[in-house]
Amino acid sequence: MRIWIKFSKDGLLRFLSHLDLLRLWQRALRRAGLPVAYSRGFNPHPRLSFASALPVGIASRAEYADLEFREEISAGDIERLKSALPSGIDIVRWRRVPARAPSLMSLVRACLWTVPLPAGDLNRHLERLQLSDELPVRRKTKKGEKIIDIKPHIYSLEADGKGKRLEMLLACGSEGSAKPVEVLALLPLQWDTAGLLRTEILLAAGDCLQAPMHVLLKEKEVSLNAEEDYYQLRK
Amino acid sequence: MTDYRQYFLEKILPRLEKPTRYLGNEVNAISKDHGKCTQRVALAFPDLYEVGMSHLGLKILYYIINKEERWLAERVFMPGADLEDILLREKIPLCSLETTTPLGEFDLLGFTLQYELSYATVLQMLKLSGIPVDAAARGDADPLVVGGGPCAFNPEPLADFFDFFIIGDAEEALPEVLRMLERHPGLSRREKLQKIQAVRGVYVPSFYKEIRDEDGTYRKTVPLLPSLPARVKRALVADLDKAPYPTDFIVPYGSIIHDRMVLELFRGCTRGCRFCQAGIIYRPVRERKKETLLALARKMVRSTGYEEMALSSLSSGDYSAIDELAAELGRELAKEGVSLSLPSLRLDSFSEEMTRDLQRVRKSGLTFAPEAGTQRLRDVINKNIREEDLLQAVGKAFAAGWTRVKLYFMIGLPTETDEDLAAIARLVRRVVAVYREAGNRGRPQATVSASVFVPKAHTPFQWVGQISRQEMLRRQELLRRALRIPGVQFQWHDADASILEAALARGGRELIPVIRQAADLGCKLDGWDEYFDIARWQRAFSENGLNLFACAEKRFRPEDPLPWDHLDAGVTKKYLLREFRRALKGETTPDCREGCLGCGMALLLPDDAGKGVCTVADLD
Repeated sequence: MRIWIKFSKDGLLRFLSHLDLLRLWQRALRRAGLPVAYSRGFNPHPRLSFASALPVGIASRAEYADLEFREEISAGDIERLKSALPSGIDIVRWRRVPARAPSLMSLVRACLWTVPLPAGDLNRHLERLQLSDELPVRRKTKKGEKIIDIKPHIYSLEADGKGKRLEMLLACGSEGSAKPVEVLALLPLQWDTAGLLRTEILLAAGDCLQAPMHVLLKEKEVSLNAEEDYYQLRK
Repeated sequence: MTDYRQYFLEKILPRLEKPTRYLGNEVNAISKDHGKCTQRVALAFPDLYEVGMSHLGLKILYYIINKEERWLAERVFMPGADLEDILLREKIPLCSLETTTPLGEFDLLGFTLQYELSYATVLQMLKLSGIPVDAAARGDADPLVVGGGPCAFNPEPLADFFDFFIIGDAEEALPEVLRMLERHPGLSRREKLQKIQAVRGVYVPSFYKEIRDEDGTYRKTVPLLPSLPARVKRALVADLDKAPYPTDFIVPYGSIIHDRMVLELFRGCTRGCRFCQAGIIYRPVRERKKETLLALARKMVRSTGYEEMALSSLSSGDYSAIDELAAELGRELAKEGVSLSLPSLRLDSFSEEMTRDLQRVRKSGLTFAPEAGTQRLRDVINKNIREEDLLQAVGKAFAAGWTRVKLYFMIGLPTETDEDLAAIARLVRRVVAVYREAGNRGRPQATVSASVFVPKAHTPFQWVGQISRQEMLRRQELLRRALRIPGVQFQWHDADASILEAALARGGRELIPVIRQAADLGCKLDGWDEYFDIARWQRAFSENGLNLFACAEKRFRPEDPLPWDHLDAGVTKKYLLREFRRALKGETTPDCREGCLGCGMALLLPDDAGKGVCTVADLD
């Protein structure tokens, strides 16, 4: 049985690296006594992966685990897992997904981020960003430094209704990405990056973006669930 | 009480390179209300988190103390350089992990002394916490500072820095100390120490005086009060099977050196290797029952969720039911996706079936410790294994699909010659050859590791000096050349670190000012290459009128008094000397399970001790 779990990563546990988080989940699953499926081979490892790595130190309201079990599991099992997880890692929702659905990681296209707005003229900076043809940033990769144009990866930047926070919809995943700190660096204001928060991860569903708990899943097909929130990308 | 926790978490933590070391809220970590506890203990390991968290003794004491509702134990480790700088710059005292309480606010501060190279770090941690480094300068409000672990069997170089030591097993002695302190609140420091010195294993160094000749030669250490024993007997847990053992190990977030559950099969070892201090100071052999171990193992998996369990002891193949235990545990753990490892397995107790049980889930490398290259030298050190044992064990492992093997040797053992070193290379070549004979193609991955012999107190080799630095380097080079064998990787230990270890291991109180000065010069974390600086230590020795190298090479005559003679490890000096003399003649001594050898340990056991090896002793 395969499931997706939505969870938050908050408080002190935001300092955990991706690898630390993986270890923490594996051990919590064993403490809860859940029948996780293992890969075959010389060094079997549990079939557990996450949708998208979160930078160390940043909190999230919407992280996702993709998990496979050897047997059927129940709501009671998930309750046990909830209590086996340390506070800071809290399960929000979960859903059953078809065994042959693509990996969650491969479906990720964008993330929603929010950060407290500092004083200053944000609109002037946003305008400048909008008018520029490209926004080159320096990014460290395994092969050294690279200059990347993140302009096409910024889907939207806008202040929330109360003007208290900046909401960012940024591309994420294998088809290119813009990192929140890269975007904030282009807006010369006094950002409190410790207040940065990931609020959603969005998957490609047709031409649209939709959260993992909402998309329709059938066999290998992923499609839009028009009854729930989604984002239409401007062409 | 200042509340440092919030400030630490909000302002300091985000600036640190490895924040997960300092969160203090790992799974199974215990935070209690200080206001509701009568005895508050900080358990310190004088090294970084990754090392200290790997240590079993700390886990045992953490469990035993926190088990009592009105007591609490919290952990503290040496902070990394980044945090240390911040603490010094912002004048913040070193705090415990769980509740960020300054160490000075605890009732008891316990340091585990596992290796001599951690001595300077003990002082650095005291300095960072604002507790006076010298016990004599501490006031009634300061915690009592206690040391334990193997180095407490010769704690004299640290005598001025500790209020007391617990020599031997602490799992009964420490609670007894705490109960005593609890029953008598409001005592002065001195009164407290006078009370607790009655607990078996407790040694209060300030109640004893070292007597030296005019030229500085050590004579003896004598009690200052007539009521004190001339020799302090070590603490001993007679029935290990009934001793409390933790199952809810703290599970770190980041990876640590030994990131796994530990199941202690037994304490002590009957083999009698003559270089081995652990083989003496943990006597006698005390086993846990197989049923006890299986029950502990099951609980551990449930409470920690760890993916690996290590069976721990000084020689796990000697556990009386090792085959059944390995088979049953291996089977059970495999169902949970947990692998079993056996870090200290003797060559002669290696069986294919057993390792198959052990490695059901993951196949790691195998480690063997022949220690010396020739039979002659192995006889000198009483490592009673033969070359055939090694080749047979390795052959079985290779046939069963292993490709990686690690071999441990020591250089600089008493009576070692170049021929012994050449024999190491010959032995390694044979191991490589066995790989092909076992039907494999190519070559195995063999790692040969050579450490430098360090003579230790309370061993048959306590009288011998370490070889000189020059000689160490020459022998390392000799071995390095001889081990240029395809597929073989050679690792050797830093000569200078071994020299410092030797100089500190057999010293007396003359080393107190040396260690104090080394800490003042900035020495810390000397077990780490990036921190260790022999020049600073050399300076600390020479400015106190001592020579580091001479201290390491120091030889004692059999009739010489030794600075640790007043500490009774249970094994008599007469026995150690007999063993030393047999070593020099190349005579081996059998495993004492084949018949009591009269080491003296049996005399230390209480009459009602369980059926251990020593209770059937027939003493001469």
